[in-house]
Amino acid sequence: MDNFYYLESARINELLTRLKKDYNVFSPGLKEPNFTKGTDYSYRNLSDNQQFVFNPYRVIEPLKSFLTPFMENAAAYFNPGKDTIDLGKTIVFGAKNCDITSLKIQDFVFMEGVEVDYSYRMKREDTLLVSGDCIDYKEVCFCLALDVLPYPTMGFDLNLSPVSDGYLVEAGSEKGKALIEKFREYFSEAKDTQVWARKTKREDIVNRLKRHLLAQNIPPKESLQRLVKDGYNLDTWKEFMLTCVECGGCNFICNTCHCFLLADTSDDNKNKRLKLWDSCQYANYSRAAGGANPLKARYQRLRFRFTKKFDFFMENLGMPACCGCGRCIEVCPGKIDLREVWKDLQNKLKAKQ
Amino acid sequence: MKNIYRPFEATVEDIIVETPAIKTFVIRPKESFVFKTGQFIELTLPGMGEAPFTPSSDPGIKDRFEVTVMNAGRVTFLLHELPKKYSLGVRGPYGKGYPLESFTGKDILIVGGGVGLAPLRSLLFSLFSEINKYNKVVLRYGARSPDDIVYRSAIPEWSKIDKVDIVLTVDAPAPGWKGNVGVVTTILNDLPVDLKNSAVIVCGPPVMMKFATMKLLGLGFPPENIYLSMEKNMSCGLGKCGHCRIGKFYICKDGPVFTYAELKDIYDIWD
Repeated sequence: MDNFYYLESARINELLTRLKKDYNVFSPGLKEPNFTKGTDYSYRNLSDNQQFVFNPYRVIEPLKSFLTPFMENAAAYFNPGKDTIDLGKTIVFGAKNCDITSLKIQDFVFMEGVEVDYSYRMKREDTLLVSGDCIDYKEVCFCLALDVLPYPTMGFDLNLSPVSDGYLVEAGSEKGKALIEKFREYFSEAKDTQVWARKTKREDIVNRLKRHLLAQNIPPKESLQRLVKDGYNLDTWKEFMLTCVECGGCNFICNTCHCFLLADTSDDNKNKRLKLWDSCQYANYSRAAGGANPLKARYQRLRFRFTKKFDFFMENLGMPACCGCGRCIEVCPGKIDLREVWKDLQNKLKAKQ
Repeated sequence: MKNIYRPFEATVEDIIVETPAIKTFVIRPKESFVFKTGQFIELTLPGMGEAPFTPSSDPGIKDRFEVTVMNAGRVTFLLHELPKKYSLGVRGPYGKGYPLESFTGKDILIVGGGVGLAPLRSLLFSLFSEINKYNKVVLRYGARSPDDIVYRSAIPEWSKIDKVDIVLTVDAPAPGWKGNVGVVTTILNDLPVDLKNSAVIVCGPPVMMKFATMKLLGLGFPPENIYLSMEKNMSCGLGKCGHCRIGKFYICKDGPVFTYAELKDIYDIWD
């Protein structure tokens, strides 16, 4: 019971006010109702009069936005004076297990390999993640199909599980424990009954998700790498790309997609290098000097996205770059649903046997 | 902590016109810079952009290096406009170079096309400097026309080196051309190399590399002895930005030199 605490709902806003003195606090808020899309939540930089909202499922934006932002100054060079980077400490509430699990991909890209991206590492070290259990799901949610649970078991600093009148708080890291010690007056010892209540609620959401997935017939996780490799030359890619408008939304909204481009500019004679998200669905993504472009056609780029997620990362990290959040399905104006792509590959491969 | 996206400063010391479309830039870095032959760098035009190049000079020369650049895209166009003494940025070197240690005691066959001779010149200088380690060095090089042959005046000098054997070919001859006419695969018959004890290095435009590799495989060279210098739009150089992926590899960090054995099961490698 060492790592379990109880936080009363009635006191959480007061705690947030205290936190805001030392941290940049981001927390989900309710988006304006949209009848076509249902209820959505979005991160906001909490201001003084805003109340804490516990999001029942993941928010719209990917968690990566805090660690590898859409656009950042990657470097300044050959300028007089010193290049400084200003980073504050940040707390992000509301991440779900799909978000937490997929950060493994971002961590692998930016903190491992030949060299470390120190801007990412500093942001990672200076960001506290306060995650939460899912107590509901969206139609597009399919985390369980990829063996990702609807509640985190690691990778968080603190995790909130709603129980009567408050939250069971689990500390998942030294940073998380230190935060609780610093604000100890808000946290009481958790009771056995509260831990039991969390267990019951977690079993309930898992069972509900299982029923939800039953009708979806998603091919087994273990088969996905084989599907994209064996299905490389199938017509699936050409058929599904027909509605692709090359907006790049599926990449930008994905918490595992990490591609970026470097762009140099010069303002007031100061040389700057910007790092911006890039999308493999863009026609120029792989274009090289002289006009060579190995991914000229849209179907090649759609296939590239799938082979990256389900072959490249399986080979290099032993996990697929997908955690079943369903954001890419929701965002796609062409209604390209990766579950349907898998099923089509599976059906076509079966028919060929 | 080191910022991996920040270039260090270097100066353009000299510019050599090689062909109408190709120039060699002699660059003096302001920081210590060492590369292995076959590794590449990212060259920055301050405030304008960055592009990958493989040094074409002898890695044994430590205080400066050269890149041979074809005017083919936005950054290379700007580079071609540069005056001497201009300040550039450099990042790198990146990737793995040619595995010279495994070439010892072998017949070295080098097959090049067009501006692909640039990285190969660096390799040739490395081989020449320790020529006793190798049985022989055989170069087969093709260019579009005699005027497009890079380092044209230097090649006769290279031919004079003991154990070096060079044959050139052009697609379109000009008056006075006495060499072979045809694509590079037409000079790959009757090669004076031992199939079983050789290392083959191929570098050039993708279509040339494809047909040269197929020809070499047909001649019986083992896939694991054929080394290919692959190229895509490497941007970060460190396996992070994603652009240069082929199959399970990033060309920037797992290459740019691969054996054909490593790549043969990956689709579309020549695209």
